[in-house]
Amino acid sequence: MAEYVNMDTLRFQLEQVHQLDTLFQYPRYQEYDLEAINIFLDAVKDFSDQELYPVFREMDEKPAYYEDGKIIVHPTVGRTMEKMGELGVIAATFDQENGGLQMPSMALLGAYFIMEAANNHVMGYPGLTDGAAKLITAFGNEYLKEAYVPNMLSGQWAGTMCLTEPQAGSSLSDITTTAYPTDEGYYQVKGQKIFISGGDHEYNENFIHLLLARIEGAPAGTKGISLFVVPKKRIAEDGSLAPNDVITAGDFQKMGQRGYCTTHLVFGENDDCRAWLVGEPHKGLKYMFQMMNDARISVGRGGLSIASAAYHASLQYAKERPQGRRVMDSGKKDPRQEPVLIIEHADVRRMLLLQKVIYEGSLSLLLLASKYHDLEKVTEGEEKQKNRLLLELLTPVAKTYPTEKGREAVDNGLQVLGGYGYCSDFVLQQYLRDIRIMAIYEGTTGIQSLDLLGRKITMDNGKALKLLAQEMQQTIGSALTFDGLKPYAGQLGEKMKLSQKVLDFLLPLAMKGEYERFLSDATVFMDFFSTLVVGWLWLDMAVVAKQELVSGREAYPAEFYESKVHAMRFFFKYELPKMEGLAPTLMSEEVLTILKEKEVIA
Amino acid sequence: MKLLVCVSKTPETTAKIAFTNDNTEFDSSGVQYIMNPYDEWYALVRALELKEAQGGSVTIIHVGPAANDTIIRKGLAIGADEAVRIDAEPPSALYVARQVAEYAKNENFDIVFLGKESIDYNGSEVGPMLAEMLGLPFVSHATRLEMEGNKAMIVADIDGGDAQLEVETPFVISAAKGLAEQRIPNMRGIMMAKRKPLKVVEPVEAEGLAVAVRFELPPEKGDVKLIDPENMDELVRLLHEEAKVI
Ligand SMILES: Cc1cc2nc3c(=O)[nH]c(=O)nc-3n(C[C@H](O)[C@H](O)[C@H](O)COP(=O)(O)OP(=O)(O)OC[C@H]3O[C@@H](n4cnc5c(N)ncnc54)[C@H](O)[C@@H]3O)c2cc1C
Ligand SMILES: Cc1cc2nc3c(=O)[nH]c(=O)nc-3n(C[C@H](O)[C@H](O)[C@H](O)COP(=O)(O)OP(=O)(O)OC[C@H]3O[C@@H](n4cnc5c(N)ncnc54)[C@H](O)[C@@H]3O)c2cc1C
Repeated sequence: MAEYVNMDTLRFQLEQVHQLDTLFQYPRYQEYDLEAINIFLDAVKDFSDQELYPVFREMDEKPAYYEDGKIIVHPTVGRTMEKMGELGVIAATFDQENGGLQMPSMALLGAYFIMEAANNHVMGYPGLTDGAAKLITAFGNEYLKEAYVPNMLSGQWAGTMCLTEPQAGSSLSDITTTAYPTDEGYYQVKGQKIFISGGDHEYNENFIHLLLARIEGAPAGTKGISLFVVPKKRIAEDGSLAPNDVITAGDFQKMGQRGYCTTHLVFGENDDCRAWLVGEPHKGLKYMFQMMNDARISVGRGGLSIASAAYHASLQYAKERPQGRRVMDSGKKDPRQEPVLIIEHADVRRMLLLQKVIYEGSLSLLLLASKYHDLEKVTEGEEKQKNRLLLELLTPVAKTYPTEKGREAVDNGLQVLGGYGYCSDFVLQQYLRDIRIMAIYEGTTGIQSLDLLGRKITMDNGKALKLLAQEMQQTIGSALTFDGLKPYAGQLGEKMKLSQKVLDFLLPLAMKGEYERFLSDATVFMDFFSTLVVGWLWLDMAVVAKQELVSGREAYPAEFYESKVHAMRFFFKYELPKMEGLAPTLMSEEVLTILKEKEVIA
Repeated sequence: MKLLVCVSKTPETTAKIAFTNDNTEFDSSGVQYIMNPYDEWYALVRALELKEAQGGSVTIIHVGPAANDTIIRKGLAIGADEAVRIDAEPPSALYVARQVAEYAKNENFDIVFLGKESIDYNGSEVGPMLAEMLGLPFVSHATRLEMEGNKAMIVADIDGGDAQLEVETPFVISAAKGLAEQRIPNMRGIMMAKRKPLKVVEPVEAEGLAVAVRFELPPEKGDVKLIDPENMDELVRLLHEEAKVI
């Protein structure tokens, strides 16, 4: 079977770079050890090899569709949902008291990474169920927890997130779905939701929609939005399931992720759609945002996983395809020579290495964000605040870098295959179509970038950024102890200064009240800043590889560690310098994109 | 029913195989190990199925050092009730059989399961030796096993076909592909495995009758030479002079 992940790289990052075992000292995770996690990851890999990877292309070729009020999805969706419940994938990070396993989310990210690289059309179904059940356990009352959560964690019922409406996508404050109070302890809702992933199909007995709506008469804007549980089938008094007036009106046909249905749902068409309030009225968006942080990391992981799969597919091709001859030092080619494998051409190696640094850099970024998340749960006081701030700061980056740069990586993977890359006989074109959505849902790149520059960089007077800078300084300090890494430590230090210079230019704009201008190039800033962050993570990986090499522990062969140092050098030669190209744009006095009056762009 | 399953460790199927010490020892550096698939997928799972259907217990036994506990833990995670490890680096199949026999002789197991072979040394030796030492019947390469009371109906793989056999408990059986379907351990099982009993037993003296003098890898495949179909003379020359087949 073709490879789609490298288990050694995953283990190296989990165990040696991000030191998963340091979490086991906290009571929440104390029942875990590396051995247990490794057995679990192997089990997940076996499951992915057997159930997920073999149907991956078929799910694209036979996409989900709508017929007679129903959505038809690939049978794998039904089969695997139950198995993932059994494996413990859905319950993994929940509290034990809610039927969960209290696994560190960092370890679960590793598991999802394997499964999603095998088949990115399936993992949204359990992922959304996990997210919806988490919202209920975090903010719902005992009745909601008991009635819904156990069946969701077992994979018998599915969960969804119903936010988007035709007129309200990026701007959720504009939603109009309305909830009318009754005397019976529930509400009646009426409205439409579009683009609802995993919203309906025949393989789950019930769908539990976590829906944002406005209680009748609620104030305008984000402060008037509440969160509800709306089941497709409500639970009658005798425990049986009865229809709850949720109508499936369609399935959007898409360029990618075609096995992952995207539904149009109509609530309360017959005035009989019951909804149960989660938590307090008008706090829905706040609750949802807590979940969205997890969801953003999940989407980043989707980008990472596809980039990993595309890298391995193009690597395999490059090792098998003979074409052309190497240029000799004389500048000539010898036509009598046999053609070489394309992996011997420098340009092909560049494309492969580019993919490798993007996907492994993304993996490190996502594991680190998850680690802050895990630590935030178990630490107290200043430590807790530090972990929270670092997680908040890195979340938009962890959503965006793997999805934007991941797409560039996959595009390079396709290019490695030449003409075949563009043809449907090979899988690369599917990866490129699949990854495209990742920069859109769960908040577009534009929205993530506004979040990064407008909120996260400035929050608590820039405290998160200061903490991040300290972490980077520490890595630089460790890198300076290895002769071979000194130049790179120096380069990272310079880029940190450059980043400070850019912020010294931008932040005063906000203070002067030129807020729109301050944010106008937020997406360019995202590109600039995420390159710095991933450069730091690569230097950190190189430090760990060097430490392991001198330790003589030999958990992996020397070439394995040397390849990590080589990849870091690649990042520092080809990617990090791009910050210098972006800085003048970010500090330019020219203002070209802000709408002044009603002039047209084109 | 009281069931015993012998499990061995083998290098992961993609591991690079090399030898050290003047080709007298297997080079284990950087090699990841797994449970021998015949033991894990077929022997253990069929034993668990029988237990689930009829009650009883499944014990796994492994001859090997503490470093192999991961393999044992996986077996417990899949569902075995308890484990025994004979604390010794096994130098040969005879040694393994002797240790297992020593443990099993007073335990009155109804069935002792093994894999049909280890996927590294491919000896198929432990099973028959063990059965002999325990004085029990031995059925090898089983692809089906059904119980009726203490009578077992077994289908065994033989070259080009099947053999149908009947045997009464107690007996020793080696498992081939088809006896059961692989079970993937789940997280709850993995956590529970930690709390299941693992007994460590000192080995008994056992002599090794054969020693490995030297290992050799199969010769590497040479480069492929492409010859233009127009150029038959060259092909004949190469087959004659280089390949020396004509
Ligand atoms: C396949 C798929 C699955 C989805 N799954 C779900 C789901 O399960 N649940 C759910 O609720 N939603 C889901 N969505 C909806 C998704 O989250 C939205 O499509 C997304 O948030 C963008 O909203 P929109 O499509 O209305 O685009 P718009 O908000 O109209 O955005 C259009 C463009 O304008 C930009 N833009 C918008 N506002 C601003 C601003 N203030 N500043 C700068 N730029 C801005 C955006 O970046 C974008 O480039 C899904 C969408 C798709 C396509
Ligand atoms: C020359 C030589 C040198 C060796 N040196 C070493 C060494 O240094 N270190 C080392 O670990 N191994 C070593 N081994 C392998 C070890 O001794 C094997 O476990 C033993 O040889 C059985 O292998 P086999 O292929 O004959 O097993 P087979 O008879 O093919 O195995 C059949 C079944 O026997 C059972 N079984 C096999 N081994 C064990 C075990 N250890 N515990 C419990 N059940 C078992 C399993 O159910 C297996 O499916 C060596 C083997 C040889 C031939």
